[in-house]
Amino acid sequence: MNNSIIKLSTLLLFSALLTACGDDGDTGPQGPAGPQGEAGADGQDGSDGQDGINGNSAVYTVQITNLTYSQPFAPAAVILHESGFHSFNEGEPATMGIEIMAEGGDPSMVITEAMDSTDFLDAQNSGGILGPRSMGTELTLVVPELDADDLRLTVTTMLVNTNDAFTGLNAANVSNMAVGDIKTFMTVTWDAGTEANTETAATMPGPAASAAGGGGEAAGYDVVRDDLADAVRLHQGVVTSANANDPSREGLSTSVLTEAHRFDFPTSRVVITRTR
Amino acid sequence: MKFTKLASATLLSLASVSVSQAVTLDIEITNLTQAQSFTPRLVIAHDDTVDAFEVGQPASSALAWLAEAGVIDDEQNADSSGANFEALLGPVDTDNGSNTWHRFGGLLAPKATLSYPFDTMGKPYLSLLSMLIPTNDAFVGMDSIEIPTEPGTYTYYLNAYDAGTELNDELNSARTDVVEAGTGNALGGYGVPGVAGGGAPTRIVDLGTGGTGVGAQIVNGEIEDGEDGPVHIHRNALGDTDSAAGASDLDSTVHRWLNPVARVVITVPAP
Repeated sequence: MNNSIIKLSTLLLFSALLTACGDDGDTGPQGPAGPQGEAGADGQDGSDGQDGINGNSAVYTVQITNLTYSQPFAPAAVILHESGFHSFNEGEPATMGIEIMAEGGDPSMVITEAMDSTDFLDAQNSGGILGPRSMGTELTLVVPELDADDLRLTVTTMLVNTNDAFTGLNAANVSNMAVGDIKTFMTVTWDAGTEANTETAATMPGPAASAAGGGGEAAGYDVVRDDLADAVRLHQGVVTSANANDPSREGLSTSVLTEAHRFDFPTSRVVITRTR
Repeated sequence: MKFTKLASATLLSLASVSVSQAVTLDIEITNLTQAQSFTPRLVIAHDDTVDAFEVGQPASSALAWLAEAGVIDDEQNADSSGANFEALLGPVDTDNGSNTWHRFGGLLAPKATLSYPFDTMGKPYLSLLSMLIPTNDAFVGMDSIEIPTEPGTYTYYLNAYDAGTELNDELNSARTDVVEAGTGNALGGYGVPGVAGGGAPTRIVDLGTGGTGVGAQIVNGEIEDGEDGPVHIHRNALGDTDSAAGASDLDSTVHRWLNPVARVVITVPAP
């Protein structure tokens, strides 16, 4: 046992002597890098930014009231624009958008025609029928604050128990309203001049025509323009079949409208309020 | 009417010191129709808590009394007590806080003009109501205009509204061959069918008698007393040209109108 320990120590001593006496070996090359570690967990989402202030926009609400006894209003086009643009002009032929709106009730092309103008700012399609003797919901429109000093309001909506009557506003001046200001307009009714006022079931889209076996979309827009004159003008009211058979014969016997469908001006009330 | 409103609104905004104060206005009213008389005029100066009528909203009983019978206060008709405008607003010619009002009596004939002094007692808004006769429940209305404060003359055009509290049967209330359905009541006045008219000194032509009904039809000698509200723009009388038959007891060549039916000129005096 003792002997082996001595031998081991001798060996250690010997190797120490070798180290002391030989040249140093070259350092070996660096080993390859280890594989990349797993990615760390994602950090938490940042906190929300502050709400922007509405410093650059003017906000308006528009509310329509149907003043008639028995003429529902088709969906309304409500458009804010600068001066210079008109959706229609009295004495001139109606655009196709006005024709489609006034004969069939769909106001969407009135809006797209307005959007093609450089004076266009914002528009809403009320999207629903506004019943007689009732107040509509408030629609919200937003325009750049800079344009509030030169602002016009155009509204068009069809009286559905007619051939091509519509009411609304033709570029009414709503410039320079302060926040909280309210303007009220009582509106007239125009004849689009695109369809003869036959008052028959086959030519009107509303419930009066439906009750007589017509109405609906097929009785709405017709590409033919067969009115007395192809020009927008104020409407003279509906004749109806009332008094068609009394001695006066002043009624229109072929009309599916009754005395209840008659209307006088104003036909609607439009209230615009600047809210911001 | 809208342009006048706008013009006066612009004037108001220019007047930087537009503090409302007691002022005696001159109110001139002209009946623009050819054959509709105006019953006694209710003129109210009021704040924003008073709304004598509102399109798209149901009529009050006070409005029904005015539009069906031309009645404003107890003095005109004791049966209306508690349900008329006097009950709604308070005593006549008094500062009732929210309002002050006056009844300008007598009928205003077609095409005629009358003017009255009216102390607003500092209230900011003005309303004016009067029934059209002969009709079922038509009334001419001024709907809460802002009273101008700058001295000057201001013109407004007023429309005819339908109170919606009675169907427009257009039947002569003097008729005895028709009664109210259900009750057997005679025609005419508040709460029963038939056009109010009577032997008005302003009558243009006598009413017919043989009509079968317009907004409602006679069935077995009875006529329904229904409602056709809320308040809306009146679709005009229909009438016909046969005084002994046809649908209506009104005359279509006489009794029709188109809006506006009245002109009101307000003069604000210099202080």
